[in-house]
Amino acid sequence: MSDKNSPFFVGYLSAPRGLRTFLLVACVIFVSGLGGLGLALGVAQDDPGNGAFRFDYGRQTVTGVVEMTPYPLVRVTEGSERIAVGQTLMLSGQGKNSVISRTAPLEGQLAKVSGVILDRGDLEMMQLRGGRNGISGVEGEAPAMQTEQLGRWRLAGEICDGKCLAGAMRPGRGIAHKACANLCLLGDIPPVFVTTQPVEGHEFLLITGPDGTALPESAYHHVAQFISLEGEVERRGDLLVLRMDPDTVELIR
Amino acid sequence: MSVKYTPVQWNTNKYIYDAVMLVGVALFLYVFLYAAPGILSHERPIDPQVHNARAFGACAFVMLTVILCIGPLARLDKRFLPLLYNRRHFGVMTVFVALTHASYILNWYFAFSSSDKFEALLFANTSYSQLAGFPFEVFGIFALLVLVILSATSHDFWMKFLTPPVWKRIHYLIYPAYLSVVAHVSLGILQDQQNHAFTVIFIGGAVAVGVLHLMAALHERRADAAISAETAEWIDICDVSEMSDGFAKIRLLPAGDRVAVYLNNGTLSAISNACAHQNGPLGEGRIIDCLVTCPWHGFQYDVTSGQSPAPFTEKVPTYNLRLEGTRVQVDPAANPPGTYVEPVPVPDHAAQEAPA
Repeated sequence: MSDKNSPFFVGYLSAPRGLRTFLLVACVIFVSGLGGLGLALGVAQDDPGNGAFRFDYGRQTVTGVVEMTPYPLVRVTEGSERIAVGQTLMLSGQGKNSVISRTAPLEGQLAKVSGVILDRGDLEMMQLRGGRNGISGVEGEAPAMQTEQLGRWRLAGEICDGKCLAGAMRPGRGIAHKACANLCLLGDIPPVFVTTQPVEGHEFLLITGPDGTALPESAYHHVAQFISLEGEVERRGDLLVLRMDPDTVELIR
Repeated sequence: MSVKYTPVQWNTNKYIYDAVMLVGVALFLYVFLYAAPGILSHERPIDPQVHNARAFGACAFVMLTVILCIGPLARLDKRFLPLLYNRRHFGVMTVFVALTHASYILNWYFAFSSSDKFEALLFANTSYSQLAGFPFEVFGIFALLVLVILSATSHDFWMKFLTPPVWKRIHYLIYPAYLSVVAHVSLGILQDQQNHAFTVIFIGGAVAVGVLHLMAALHERRADAAISAETAEWIDICDVSEMSDGFAKIRLLPAGDRVAVYLNNGTLSAISNACAHQNGPLGEGRIIDCLVTCPWHGFQYDVTSGQSPAPFTEKVPTYNLRLEGTRVQVDPAANPPGTYVEPVPVPDHAAQEAPA
């Protein structure tokens, strides 16, 4: 029912005197409320971690032995001012693209690789330059590289794509990033398992399928989830490789 | 009211409404994008694309929440009705903010691969059979599509073209869209949050929308119970002495329609309570310049015929009524929209015989 004591607003007429104070207060609350919410939500964002493209290092060029896990690695035999001999670098192409087609013919051989480094703690990856500028075979016999078997482990943590996690994106992990991570993994970017407890001092492990296969399709459903799984762990230089057993995956949360 | 369609019929109140809205949205985005990062103590900043996507996404959610709170607030307290007046501009602005959010996401998370980013959006995550890691993007896509449709059809042209009942039903999609946004956020960013301030604000906003709608529904139910009428040949409205000149009494008729009975310069007339524009409650308006004026958007009708004054063409049904002693009674059978009904004069003695 209408009430003759209450002010009546008609859009195309001036606001009634009795409503003006109320509307002014509503406007002030609206504007200041949005400003306050912008601040509260803006400062509620979690730390995305310290991964980054290291453009500040400049272009890095090193020589090493190419290994396929099946994801491509290079075991550094001649380093640079930033990359030491003995380090192991995961390799990727531009964007969400793999360099498997360029590294596979050089498996087990010496190669010169050049590109920009991404790093996050002990996780390191090189994004190769295009064509032969990025990777090319080097004359000479490749030294034998040791792979140390560390046995079967049960680990808890999260499967991520190694490139975003290493710093291509900040944040580069989590459920909100799952589709992006899947897209990277579909592009054969090396996947990484982030453990809740360090393994032999490492928080990040390159993760593959069993017996030298790529990450199984079933594992894509568990990307970005907090899971536990079992697998064989091996050490390649300063990088640990986890060969997961797909049948052991359990969702923790 | 419109006799021809123009993109926006600007007036001073609409300018003020839009200015306040833009200042609020600009302040939200400015603070989120430029003030908040200085307070965060992150070793390295969040990627600008992700930061922008979050700012616009959070802003769209807040805007949608405010929009959905205005309706029930106006039902509970009529002082909020001015906020309803130009709400469609608020909705259209929300769509642009939401589209900006989607654009940042699409051009960041779904770019840089050899696949088309729109295709990648659909195939990158197909874990539909699980809750954790569910492709929450689909909820965002649905909500965005609905918002775009509602925005595109928000103009009065579409209401006339589709007819108000169809238009209204389409625009009820805002509720599934809001639920979809809640699911989008709950299964997405909320799963990753370590800082729970966002969670609290998000849940608080969604609960406010739910609670306000519940309160408004209860309020409406109580109001309907108070004005509902028994089935009869003539429906008793009230004693004529209870009526005020220029104001109405509303009664819920047995068939479910509401009638608004107005006292206008000593005569009684009855029209449908539902405005032809957006079903606004005409009985909660008042007579201005001899015309019933809707409290929602100011549409006006001649109380004797239910017709908008020329050159406008809107019409609402009228009702026959009579005065039995001092009791005002209405025939529940509505006349076709625009039918003139001779107003019933109120004798001076009837108006003065007020019951205690």
